[in-house]
Amino acid sequence: MLAISALSVFGIIVLFLGFSNNKSALMLAAMLSLLATFGLALYEWQHPEITPAVAAGMMSFDNLSILFTAVLLVTGILLLPLSERFLVDPKAQPAEYYAILLFSMVGAIMMVTFDNLIMLFLGLEILSISLYVLTGSDKRNLLANEAALKYFLMGAFATGVLLYGVAMLYGAAGSFSLSDIALYVQDNHDNLSPMLYIGLFMMLVGMLFKLSVAPFHWWTADVYTGAPNFFTAYMSTIVKTAGFAALYKILSVSFVGVYDYWFLMLAICAVLTLCIGNLTATAQQSFKRMMAYSGVSHAGYMLIAVASFSDKTPEAIFFYSLAYSIATITAFAALMRVADTKGSADFAAFYGLAKTNPFLSFALTVSMLSLAGIPLTAGFMGKLFVFMSALEQGHVALVVAAVLMSAVGVYYYLRVVIAMYMREGNGVAVTLSPRFRVVLIATTVLTILLGVVPSLVAGAL
Amino acid sequence: MQVSSPQDYLPIIIQFALALGFVVLSMIASHAIGPKRKAKIKDEQWECGIESVGDARAPISIKYFLVAILFVLFDVEVIFMYPWAVNFRYLGWIGFVEMVIFMGFLLTGYFYIIKKGVLNWE
Repeated sequence: MLAISALSVFGIIVLFLGFSNNKSALMLAAMLSLLATFGLALYEWQHPEITPAVAAGMMSFDNLSILFTAVLLVTGILLLPLSERFLVDPKAQPAEYYAILLFSMVGAIMMVTFDNLIMLFLGLEILSISLYVLTGSDKRNLLANEAALKYFLMGAFATGVLLYGVAMLYGAAGSFSLSDIALYVQDNHDNLSPMLYIGLFMMLVGMLFKLSVAPFHWWTADVYTGAPNFFTAYMSTIVKTAGFAALYKILSVSFVGVYDYWFLMLAICAVLTLCIGNLTATAQQSFKRMMAYSGVSHAGYMLIAVASFSDKTPEAIFFYSLAYSIATITAFAALMRVADTKGSADFAAFYGLAKTNPFLSFALTVSMLSLAGIPLTAGFMGKLFVFMSALEQGHVALVVAAVLMSAVGVYYYLRVVIAMYMREGNGVAVTLSPRFRVVLIATTVLTILLGVVPSLVAGAL
Repeated sequence: MQVSSPQDYLPIIIQFALALGFVVLSMIASHAIGPKRKAKIKDEQWECGIESVGDARAPISIKYFLVAILFVLFDVEVIFMYPWAVNFRYLGWIGFVEMVIFMGFLLTGYFYIIKKGVLNWE
């Protein structure tokens, strides 16, 4: 709660700092805001009584929420230095970008702390609307405009479906509060209103759309490809973490009683997402588009964790989203520098990168191995936790499908490694600024560290 | 809790039918009773003496759009004050402080607009 209030005010301050001429102070201010918010979020770890007193039952910062908030903020802190191009680009509006970024973070944090469907809707909208704007922030780029318009139209439609579902749930249970709905499901278990099922279905459709889960993933590739690289990295990490945390929270608090109903839907979507995401990714020629489909496929793995719904699920989602976010940041950091230098985001732009930039190639290789789920990386442990939570409930078929599809994943993740190490390039070196270097070192070290000693964070719950 | 049944909405349906009926009736009546003049000039779309030029999709200065959208923004936000004003006594000082904070945010936005030069038309 403190985190949300503080971050909103910080966003306004950053917005007004934009009137001064010192642009590099902006990134510093945004960074300090995120760090301060991180501190405030951790402060509530010891003080669970702060939020209920002011939030009137609309939000709660339990330990799981704080962990997800921490993942969101760490992602933001690691990503922020990569935005340095905005500080020198005369057409960029860094103050507005950073302010919107901080506001969207407020929405994301609301999505992991809500106790009421109204707050879920508000959080989702604060996040989504900010992202529509950021997607189109490169005003003179036609592809970015197309992406923003598509994202906005499709996203607004999905929000409508979600809101309709929420209204139906209200009609059935007579309350927006998660615990009241849970009480209704428990008390009327043999005689549930059909509106509850329709409402839950529509709400899940809306959520799955935002999470780019098949068959609602069609917008993802175009939007992720068209948006500026920095904001693609931002939305492919933040939305996944916040969305899956929210999805898990609704289902685990309110709808335990109708597990059989939503399990089937989520399981079908998970397998479909894994197949479509991984198989389509193999056919891409552009690294950025491949990362978009990779994002779709990772939504499938996380959905398996949610659908299996064992006591290991929260840990699995937490660890997986952390591992995925860190590896994705590395991948996009490399993509940003390569695309800026060579003017293309295709695999061909990565040819021979190992000769000119051994460090960058190594970092990108580690991140690709982590996304593919090779042992000794965080991604492997993440997948392990997900599969363990599914096996605990005996969903062997789901795990088999996921393992098969992650084998497909190895193929396309290693394509970029092959491009870097085994192809001849034109010998143009990519320059790395100190900020990029620090971020890449941090993400690479974290990826390996979490892969070797996952108990560093996995035991936090 | 007061539950409203479908027949409670009957007055609304009657009102709706009356409104629709009035429109249809007056259109039919004016067509039937009114005088009919037909001529070449009379049949032109634009009959005030000036011929239409170009099409309607001419680019218009962004300032009009900005002023319109800002009007809508502030208009909608100020609507928030009505329910507060109605419950002014009930919400007491806490409500007042919350409304002051809300107005503070609104004013910050207004200040931002002015600093950005949105209302600067020169």
